Amino acid sequence: MKGFKVITAMKDSISEKDIIVSSNGNISREVYHHLPQPQVYLRGSMGLPVAVGLGLALANPNNRVIVVTGDGNFLMGMGSTVTTSFYKPKNLKILILDNKSYFTTGGQQTVSPALNYSKFIDALNCEYNNSKEASEDQIKEDLSRFLNSNTFAILHLVIEASKENLENIPWHPEKISKEFTGKISKSS
Amino acid sequence: MIDSAAFVSYLEKNFQFISGVPCTYFKKMLIYLAEHETELQLQHVIATREDEAMGIASGVAFSGKQAVVYMQNSGLGNVGDALTSLAQLYKLPMVLLISYRGLESDRAFPEHDIMGEVNEAVLKAFNIPYWILSEKNWETEMNLAVKEMKNSSSPVALLVKDGVLSE
Repeated sequence: MKGFKVITAMKDSISEKDIIVSSNGNISREVYHHLPQPQVYLRGSMGLPVAVGLGLALANPNNRVIVVTGDGNFLMGMGSTVTTSFYKPKNLKILILDNKSYFTTGGQQTVSPALNYSKFIDALNCEYNNSKEASEDQIKEDLSRFLNSNTFAILHLVIEASKENLENIPWHPEKISKEFTGKISKSS
Repeated sequence: MIDSAAFVSYLEKNFQFISGVPCTYFKKMLIYLAEHETELQLQHVIATREDEAMGIASGVAFSGKQAVVYMQNSGLGNVGDALTSLAQLYKLPMVLLISYRGLESDRAFPEHDIMGEVNEAVLKAFNIPYWILSEKNWETEMNLAVKEMKNSSSPVALLVKDGVLSE
């Protein structure tokens, strides 16, 4: 299953109060174009989406925070997953879309295949965790169980490496901040 | 040495979160934080890296709240991208409390020599306004830093020399 299809499948489960943090590159573009706006679209700071998600989750305990990250980004900031597991905010959900490549920069291979995600996530002792291949038949159910778990949760999905031809995010980062802060001051 | 209770109380009034990676220069302040964790209105988040701490502070700032990020100046070498492509780019206010290692009292620790020499130049290169925290005028220096952080809605730094926040 393609990554943007997973992101599109999230649409029905996302409410206005939810906060999404998307990792730089294709994932931010897909989240911008396919899901309700505004969200925290990271354009740089590779390796930091999980950390940003943790800050958001702790500062907004009444909002659900969903981090959508690729494998390259996740691996770069892997320590942050241990930090989040230390604090285990119930409102934080980490979705790893694993295409085993740095896809935005041309599909170069990552070292992701070396990691047994299932064992790794299990070792973090979070109450909800799942590692599997994304499939069209089960995606809605998988996402619903993950997003509606009343606990700190990690879902690792192996996806097909694929790219949509989406326009760049037209908002300057200062506008992203402004739009997002406006939303959060209304809903927290 | 600045009184830890007074310093943490100042932080508590101006920030909701504190995150970072320790330096011996912050030892007293961090002991105070740990001992008073439950009663403080300042949430401490332990980080694995300095850029991670800046990521956490960025999430806090996106929410309209503020965090202090503490780090040894060695960590300044780790945060370049967190500054330029996140905190500065998205206009996220935060205070960076950075220990000024590599000066005279650190001659037995050559691992700090080079960053000690370029520390201020690095801050200048990144266009980060900074103050050197002093025992005597620390409140004024903190006030100036907090004011600039709010006005610019961007990171500012305070350099902490040996003996200022810990003996």
